[in-house]
Amino acid sequence: MTSLAAELGRIVGDAHVIARATQLLVYRSDALPGLQRAPALAVFPGTRDELIAVVRALAAADAPFVARGAGTGLSGGALADEITLLGLHRLKRIIAFDPIGRTATVEPGVVNATLTRAAAPHGLHYAPDPSSQTACTIGGNIAENAGGPHCLKYGVTLDHALCATVVLPSGEVVTLDRGDVDRDDGTGAGYDLLGAFIGSEGCFGVVVDVTVRLTPDPERVITLLADFMRVRDAADATSRIIAAGILPAALELMDQPTIEAVESSVYAAGYPRDAAAVLLIEVDGAAAGLEDDARAVERLCREAGARGVRVAHDAAERARLWQGRKKAFGAMGRVAPHLVVQDAVVPRSRLAELLDEIAAIGERHGVRICNVFHAGDGNLHPNIPYDAHDATESARVHAAMQEIMTLCIAAGGTITGEHGVGLDKLPYMEQLFTPDTLDAMCSLRAVFDPDRRANPGKVVPVRACREWHGAVAARPTAHVAVAR
Amino acid sequence: MITMPRYDPKTAVEAAVMVREAASAGCVLRLVGAGTWLTAGHSVQADTELSTEQLAGITQYRPEDLTLSAGAGTTIAELDEATRAHGQWCPLLPWGDDRGTIGATIATATTGPFAERLGRPRNLVLGLECVDGTGRIVAAGGRVVKNVAGFDLTRAITGSWGTLGLITHVHLRLRARPVVDESWTVEVPSGARAVIETFARGPFAPLACVNVAADLSPASSPDGGGHDDDSQDDRLWIVRLGGNEAHVAAARAALRAIGTIRPSAPTVWDEVRRTHAPTARALRWRWDALSLRLRARFDPAQVLNRGLLGEVA
Repeated sequence: MTSLAAELGRIVGDAHVIARATQLLVYRSDALPGLQRAPALAVFPGTRDELIAVVRALAAADAPFVARGAGTGLSGGALADEITLLGLHRLKRIIAFDPIGRTATVEPGVVNATLTRAAAPHGLHYAPDPSSQTACTIGGNIAENAGGPHCLKYGVTLDHALCATVVLPSGEVVTLDRGDVDRDDGTGAGYDLLGAFIGSEGCFGVVVDVTVRLTPDPERVITLLADFMRVRDAADATSRIIAAGILPAALELMDQPTIEAVESSVYAAGYPRDAAAVLLIEVDGAAAGLEDDARAVERLCREAGARGVRVAHDAAERARLWQGRKKAFGAMGRVAPHLVVQDAVVPRSRLAELLDEIAAIGERHGVRICNVFHAGDGNLHPNIPYDAHDATESARVHAAMQEIMTLCIAAGGTITGEHGVGLDKLPYMEQLFTPDTLDAMCSLRAVFDPDRRANPGKVVPVRACREWHGAVAARPTAHVAVAR
Repeated sequence: MITMPRYDPKTAVEAAVMVREAASAGCVLRLVGAGTWLTAGHSVQADTELSTEQLAGITQYRPEDLTLSAGAGTTIAELDEATRAHGQWCPLLPWGDDRGTIGATIATATTGPFAERLGRPRNLVLGLECVDGTGRIVAAGGRVVKNVAGFDLTRAITGSWGTLGLITHVHLRLRARPVVDESWTVEVPSGARAVIETFARGPFAPLACVNVAADLSPASSPDGGGHDDDSQDDRLWIVRLGGNEAHVAAARAALRAIGTIRPSAPTVWDEVRRTHAPTARALRWRWDALSLRLRARFDPAQVLNRGLLGEVA
């Protein structure tokens, strides 16, 4: 063991430090296939004090590190390339729960769905609901500014985090409080450091605890499934619903290849297999007036060309319809061993035309694209099942993805709506942002992590940072040498 | 009082040149929008004003996407008028009046009566362009409603009172106006504050619910601490209900069960916002180590609004 491993072992106990290469293989990937990086060392603090002590020991050793929650990220953001991996899954206590004030304070390793389960007896839930919510952690959600189907109405992680205690890479412990900014008398009293931190992909520091807002369960929920014979009609229905001033809790689109994968799997939800696309639409809120909204949604879908619209009759049917959506990625495991879950956002009004173009890109490259996405937000997830061990197929997938990203940027969109940049989207950052803007992002990072030891090499290409440009060569990427 | 010299850039590029020149000459710039509120109660020892007046106008409006882009100097009144024509609105309508600019609203993160329900600047600004204190033109965020590409400069700059950069252009998320939109003056028995607050947090959550005195002026002090010793102040509320017919009918019935209600004209909100305009007073800005570093990274020479937030040079 190296001296760093020994030092970390003294803090967390040797049982919670992994230095053997064979054991570290587990941490070589996150949920993005095709990219693998093995950490040199992994450490798993079990308490707040241990976490802070670990970060301070890393600072003292000038050792770079990568924080990791459940490893469900889809952009390669939690990969540690020959450096220390800081696993947070043991920090899973719900520290405080206030059902009256509707807040909870949790450690970073608390699983998203666990928090909602804990809130359920009080008629509350945690609103951001990524598809990976049964596994992903709140700490990871903060790092990625995670979204989910119900973010259409309820907003993303940023809209639900109130205050965080954070240990900076230097070992300083700071409190980032939204209350500094959100004074409703119009007199904010501080910079929105919490807002800057959320979505920083582990490059600014590590969450020690975070206080989030809990949302009251709606009085009533109505879930509809509309099916269409043309994908563009489903996209058109989406625009019509939003334009009518109805704000559904969720508005999800799944196309035929996705429907087929789901219906062939154990998650079969009863989607019509012969439909070109289905929309899963949920309206919720006060019971009074909700049926009128549901009827309006049904009418708008039919006007856009829906063949049929079905309303879930009970909670069990609703759960089944949603399971198909949330497990769609898993269901694609039947189609091919690997799956790229892509993420991009386009202006909602251009969905129909862009979906046609994405289909054409798929055909040109001979890859199969399955669309399952948050149509109401214009947040696309063009997914490609493939075999990562097949080099030529991987190359075709990569080329298709590049074209899709370029298409979304040209349409006035962005390269990621909720999955983050990580390593995967790094090449597109210079396509999307000006050199001045990328440089300003580096400045923002430097406020929190001037030595760029937290998740180095992610989010912003180092060459885009003028002040670091000269210093890069001088900085070795790996500080930890471990005997394998 | 001697009028300060004033720069009126027409583009971000012009503004960047002015900021760089000011920085190299050791000048301090006082950023101004319409000049209606940007004061934090501290004095700025500025040599020159840098105005967003010429950076005005709606540059892109896509009603079908519920998004809008506008120059920072665009007034709240202009935004309200343009979006109303499409049955939409930008609910950032801040305390104060409609002469104020959207740039200043975002720079100061000023909220208004609709913030709790419909969002604050940090929730509704999709992206912005600004010129920082080093003269960099920063295009933060984007124009689409969901975006996590790169570090969140938009949130850092929103509410920074111009001390990190001059906001030149903003991209906003809009909301559809509800089909039925009613305002009511509600009088509840004294001591019934908890009852109406429970209503406001429940399934009929109104678009806005503001406690006022008889002349519509604030019934509570601006920092949110009500005069708890004087229960008279709990009695009068202006409430705005929105939704479809059936929803608003049920909400109205629930409101009627709480107190006496009488209809108010929609313009009551202009008056409520005016009478609740923030007063000039010294902000107790949180100048912790991170905040000082943030200022130093984006405006190292303190060219922009030096002293406004009481920072030590």
